[in-house]
Amino acid sequence: MYPRARCTFVRHRSTGCDRHPSQHSRGLRRSRCHRVTGRLHALDIDSGAQLDVGADQSVCTASVHKLCLLVTLHELAAAGRLDLGEQIECRPTDRTTGPTGLAAMLDPVRMSLRDVAYLAMAVSDNASADLLLERVGLDAVNHTTARLGLTRTHAVHTFAELFATIREDVGPGGAQALTDPHVISRLRALDPARTNRSTPRDMTRLLGAVWRDEACTPEHGASIRRLLGLQVWPHRMASGFPFDDVHVAGKTGTLPTVRNEVGVVEYPDGGRYAVAVFTRTANPAATLPAADAVIGTTARIAVDALRAL
Amino acid sequence: MGVRLFERSSRRVTITEAGTLLLAQARELLAGSEAFMATARRIRDGETGLLRAALSPDIAGETVAALLTEFQRRHLGLELVLLELTTAQQLARLASHDLDVGIVHHPCDVSGLELGPVLRRELGVLLPRTVAAAELDEVPLSALAGHDLILFPRADAPALYDDLLTACARNGFTPAAVRHGQGASFVHGLLLSADAVAFGPRDTRPEQVHGQRPDSGVVWRPLAGAPLAWRHSVAWPKGRGDAAVKAFTEAATHALRTTADATSDVPSRPLYLRPASEYWL
Repeated sequence: MYPRARCTFVRHRSTGCDRHPSQHSRGLRRSRCHRVTGRLHALDIDSGAQLDVGADQSVCTASVHKLCLLVTLHELAAAGRLDLGEQIECRPTDRTTGPTGLAAMLDPVRMSLRDVAYLAMAVSDNASADLLLERVGLDAVNHTTARLGLTRTHAVHTFAELFATIREDVGPGGAQALTDPHVISRLRALDPARTNRSTPRDMTRLLGAVWRDEACTPEHGASIRRLLGLQVWPHRMASGFPFDDVHVAGKTGTLPTVRNEVGVVEYPDGGRYAVAVFTRTANPAATLPAADAVIGTTARIAVDALRAL
Repeated sequence: MGVRLFERSSRRVTITEAGTLLLAQARELLAGSEAFMATARRIRDGETGLLRAALSPDIAGETVAALLTEFQRRHLGLELVLLELTTAQQLARLASHDLDVGIVHHPCDVSGLELGPVLRRELGVLLPRTVAAAELDEVPLSALAGHDLILFPRADAPALYDDLLTACARNGFTPAAVRHGQGASFVHGLLLSADAVAFGPRDTRPEQVHGQRPDSGVVWRPLAGAPLAWRHSVAWPKGRGDAAVKAFTEAATHALRTTADATSDVPSRPLYLRPASEYWL
């Protein structure tokens, strides 16, 4: 058994409407300790009821931004500006680095845009994400998020550029230096003002639009939802919903001390909830299963609260 | 044996101390030999002999009686030894071949077993008449918040125990404490003296258990949305399903259907396999 990490979800003055019973937000904050802090927004996709714990704070999206990229790709496909079946080449020499998918493979690959998108979502493949970004451009991603009213969401760099800032900021110490608090404190990648950013509320708004088929055509919406449902990681949001009849779809994001996931949880009675959880750990260790599980625990508390309304 | 077991006088026979010490083991030996001979008979005759069968303690008397009647009707001449054993005990004895057939609670580890039809019994809640939720026709699990829960000991059927508590939590009921009890009278007493509730199928409602007693202070209510159920089936070791086992299976299934409101278990909820399951259908 893992030790259970305790979490502190910091509540900030919020302009959003809070219709949840106050005891539930107390529940989110009650288990306090100094290990995991976070921001959360949970939204009942159909009733609009919501639960807000720092939901308008700016957060580093990390790989959660691949969701914005995915929606952009489908929006362009819906507009006839690209074909999802279009083949692209991925040469080993200019791949963005990463531990999964094409980023981890050694040989030349040729595959369709939608299969590349699958790898970017299912295993958060950085090489795949940058292939798609190269095809659609950062501006298109920002255009899409702006069009959907996500005013606090912005991408400033590709994934290759994001990792380049980390390498630069870490300096000659390499990955080992990431345990040094001085190094952690100077990473631009951990400063929402200088990296790809959003807010928990913007992300549930995006998910709500995708699930209500407002982001693009129903056909493309279904394709986005399918890919989000194919994410392989069981350790974060999905861990809070240990039920065979509950569908969980989502996208994680991870950087040193950052653990995020945004997703949609669907119950057999038709209830569907968009949840965005962005956390930071005090401990810079890369492997903290209990901190990952905090995302599932808090998402579950939030969904239970929305279902009890 | 070289040991004097009895003192005989012209007037009476008394057991010696050595005899007393050996008595318990002698009884065990005799009982064992009886079962041994019965099993041999059953092997020789195929259809006649001894069938060692088990029921879990939650099967009501009426169901047991119906099962016995039905079994005798189907299979005259077979000796049925009926034991009261929990699911965990049944699984252990089925595995060691000390039991021929049993009625187990699902979910449980069914490897090495063959199963009869799975039957479902919706659970309701037993609660003191004085509790607010007792006023409702159907009680949502969330209305039980704040009460302790009386449940069978976890060791009796660990997977079912965990499943029930998980379903309770999902539906808004996380009991402050779980008290372990099994017998109807004991549970009834706990219900009245502690701030607790218990789950049971329809045939555990007090008017049925206590018959003539008009007001036992405890009421049974269905749970809203039928979130909890017991799922039973007859189980026997793989490859050992002979005519006797078949007769028991039919009798048990019939008894549960007619006396315990058991229905066929039709999966009604969707199943979403997540990619981490690593298999797909």
